[in-house]
Amino acid sequence: MAKEKDEFKLTNLPPEVNDPEITKDDFKLVQVDAKIHDQKFQTKPTTFIKDCFKRFCKNKSSVVAAFILGILLVLSILVPAVGKTSEVHETDGSHPTNYYLEPKLFPAGTGFWDGTKRMVDIPLNPETGYPSETYIRSAIISDIEKGEEQYTKTATTFGKDGYVQLSYFQTFPVPEVDDDGNVIKNGYVAMSAATQITKFNFTDSFKITNFDVFDLAKLQAAETKEEGKKFPDGYTPGKAALALKFDKGGESYEIELTEYKSVFNIGTSEEAIDVSSEFASFYEEHAVEKSWSDKKVENPSLEIRLKNENTKDSSRNTCILVKSIKIESTGETSELFNSLSFDNGSICLNRTAKTGGVWACKNDILHSRMGAYLSKAILCSFTYDTYEAALGTDNVDVPISDIDKWVDAGYLEYDSGILPGGVKIPSAFKCVILDPAKCPLKEAFTQDDLVYNTDTGRVIKVHAKVMKYKTLFGLESMPTFIMGTDQTGRDMFIYVFEGLRTSLLLGIATTVICFLFGLLWGSVSGYFGGNVDLVMERFTDILSGVPWIVVMTLTIIHLGSNFLTFALALCLTGWIGTAATTRTQFYRFRGREYVLASRTLGASHGRLIAKHILPNAMGTIITSAVLMVPSVIFSEATISYLGLGFKNLASLGVILADNQIELTNHPYLLIFPSVIIALLMISFNLFGNGLRDAVNPSLKGEGE
Amino acid sequence: MLKYSIKRIILALVTAFIILTLTFFLVKSLPPRGVVSPDVNVRYAFYVDQMELGYVVDMPNPVEGWTLLEHFHFDVDHSDHYFYTKPILEQYGAWLGNIVTKWDWGRSTVIEPNSSAINIIFSRLPVSFSVNIISVVISVPLGILFGIIAGLKKNTWLDHFISTLVMIFISIPSFVIIIFLVYLLGIKAGLPTIWPTNDAAAGTKALGYIIPVLSLSFGSVCGYTRFVRAELCEVMSSEYLLLARTKGLTKNQAITRHALRNAFVPILPSILAEFIGVFSGSMILESIYDIPGIGNIYIRALNQSNPDYNVLMVDMAVFTTVGLLAGIILDLSYGFIDPRIRMGEKNS
Repeated sequence: MAKEKDEFKLTNLPPEVNDPEITKDDFKLVQVDAKIHDQKFQTKPTTFIKDCFKRFCKNKSSVVAAFILGILLVLSILVPAVGKTSEVHETDGSHPTNYYLEPKLFPAGTGFWDGTKRMVDIPLNPETGYPSETYIRSAIISDIEKGEEQYTKTATTFGKDGYVQLSYFQTFPVPEVDDDGNVIKNGYVAMSAATQITKFNFTDSFKITNFDVFDLAKLQAAETKEEGKKFPDGYTPGKAALALKFDKGGESYEIELTEYKSVFNIGTSEEAIDVSSEFASFYEEHAVEKSWSDKKVENPSLEIRLKNENTKDSSRNTCILVKSIKIESTGETSELFNSLSFDNGSICLNRTAKTGGVWACKNDILHSRMGAYLSKAILCSFTYDTYEAALGTDNVDVPISDIDKWVDAGYLEYDSGILPGGVKIPSAFKCVILDPAKCPLKEAFTQDDLVYNTDTGRVIKVHAKVMKYKTLFGLESMPTFIMGTDQTGRDMFIYVFEGLRTSLLLGIATTVICFLFGLLWGSVSGYFGGNVDLVMERFTDILSGVPWIVVMTLTIIHLGSNFLTFALALCLTGWIGTAATTRTQFYRFRGREYVLASRTLGASHGRLIAKHILPNAMGTIITSAVLMVPSVIFSEATISYLGLGFKNLASLGVILADNQIELTNHPYLLIFPSVIIALLMISFNLFGNGLRDAVNPSLKGEGE
Repeated sequence: MLKYSIKRIILALVTAFIILTLTFFLVKSLPPRGVVSPDVNVRYAFYVDQMELGYVVDMPNPVEGWTLLEHFHFDVDHSDHYFYTKPILEQYGAWLGNIVTKWDWGRSTVIEPNSSAINIIFSRLPVSFSVNIISVVISVPLGILFGIIAGLKKNTWLDHFISTLVMIFISIPSFVIIIFLVYLLGIKAGLPTIWPTNDAAAGTKALGYIIPVLSLSFGSVCGYTRFVRAELCEVMSSEYLLLARTKGLTKNQAITRHALRNAFVPILPSILAEFIGVFSGSMILESIYDIPGIGNIYIRALNQSNPDYNVLMVDMAVFTTVGLLAGIILDLSYGFIDPRIRMGEKNS
């Protein structure tokens, strides 16, 4: 307190302080001769760009987005350049071995992203306790969980009972119509029986029983009771009839099963068909008895014909479900008829008496629309290592020439002197693997594995356990495809980034063109205003009135679908956005004082636009251009997804469109490209927003 | 205002006319396609109709250099019919005439041979409409709700959460969302993976709406959330709201009476425009989910091997009209809703 008082006691000061005598001599002129110049700022100077960058860096999410974009960009350049596009290795000429490998990042068995697939509802072979041979046992890496016996739509050789689905759909031969528009022949699907029965003696009478066809009313009643009996989606029950067909000396005979009034008129076409009564559509069993005598026929076949009653409505598919066709005969040979298969290019169903009612079907309802529809089987589920199955160990016959090659390479050794051209049959045979890392053989083979030519004693081939990735791919270790492989064995990782490269290239190329044109258009329109602006604005009005998808489709129909036409189609309407932004910016700046000043000094229009207005407007315009890249990629992906995309060029949209049908069985083929495209879009938008805020802080946070 | 409205409508009509004319010439300049039908009578009837409508000409003998659509020979009277297309300009005249006099926009060639294209489109419209309207009815209130929450709780975790989700969902392409929805809800959870057929049970039909409506709603909800949040944030920092608070209004009163009302000035017109937009169909959704709406028919009409140009043209016309109409509604409703905005007035 006392101290505070002291500070204000000015009166206590000595008199010379309070009232100093100041004379003129006390003053001195300091800079009288000095030349005063502007001094450099003590602070660091900053440019507009640096300032923007600083502001941009403050926005964390934008920085992260830019980082992700950078990574994607680098990967899209590096990955396709470094990796081979496709590694298609065909073993039997039809399928590559490494198709549909699941994505793998972690070792198998870790349970996540490990290249395994959870196989659910796989029919089990009750005798062995394993699924069929198509599932390689070493690749089943978990316990097999068995379920109860139930109806399944899955193809199986272990099924019992069930139904065969025979269906009519629109690509089958269309019905014939006479001049008056009457249907003279219905569209049908004919299913012929087995051709392996070369001779059949019709001396005995025989009987066809158990020709069951679903009836809709009964079916609906059954559907509520029995879960298994569900009629196929998208089909209406049709009507069916049986016919027996055979050749005799080149002539074709048809036996009409009149009990069904199933007159098909292949031979006698003048007979008109009564549409209402010709086909049976009964649910109960029906027996047909027909006897022939002294008819020795070759190649008999049984046909089931399915009538499509909905010929007018092509969107409806008709099908029948046949439970069984049983042919009984008193003769020995007729037993062959218990071996019955429906054949239409591929065997759909083969039910033989010998194997006790086994269903062997190439069941692909989705694509071939016929096949065993339901059968009873024990279903199991297990974890399946797709890599081990496709590329792991396998017992194969290795030609001796291959073994010699491996010996030359120093991978293995056996007590030679006799092999390979030795005449003597080797005894006390010993094989040693020298280089287990490189040798394609998993185990050394023994003498028992050698296959000789019995005459010369020359070894032809060797039964051996090989590692398929070594023999087929020449790889030293099991490959890992982090995004899996597709139906042709293509590495999705490389393929997706190849697609990304195309998409980005298209996006950037289109954006550059649109940007330049839009800039020109917008600056002229905005700078001159008045009537010029009015006319130009109406033009863009009309153009933007057309939906972009219309513009794109018309361009693509006219010019075909390739990179250039795509870019053109996207550019046709793409520039409107940039033009509008530029126009607005020009309106904003063209009336400013500095522009007026420049104009009074005699600056030309070009100089005013280029030197005075454009630099001010540039930030906003560039930002809108950056945001255009994702929208172009989006448009391309959309149009590709609709089936108008590139034909022989991968883009993200094309990849997604091509793999659309794989969603049920191989969702990863869609998930990875989807994630990449989503990531790209999110990053671009975040980056663009950050850029906009950095360039024009007054717009900060708008539209987030 | 009335003058401006009339001006806008006339301008839109002119624009629509120009667009349709352009589309007509572009489509007709493609190699002409005849009718696709297995039935000879249907095909013949189609060409006879086309002749009456003024698009094709029937010649008894082949003519060099003309584009032949189809040749018919009848044994009964040994007559030959060669059907050729007329020049595009003549066809254009006939087309305009038919629209004005008979409301005939052309006949379908592939989808339903020889039936009126506009009838085909109109018969598909209710399906697209029903999916869209449900989606709009669900997504608009939800979007507004989330937007208000995010806007009022600005810069809290809730706002960040909503904004991040919005950012993500608005960036993801719609077909990616549909793919995931079909995978998760359809394949995993057992909802229908395609649009149920007409004779499906009512329950299945109702379930069939879930995936399409959801996939349409995601984008829409996010769009509205973002929009409402941005508007609300702007209004919340305005002076009149501060004045309202200083006058003694509680925060809730200030928000409901001043902030929301003003924030909704730009939002309402876009909602109205959205309701106009329900008349068009989402092509991607309809083709993936196999919904028999007008977006699906567009893709079917576009089929590379079997295009149906007339149906395509009418479909394009519908999309264009809906787009233009939505634009007009958007612009005009601004003026009705906000007295501060006077559309079409000259800048002083």
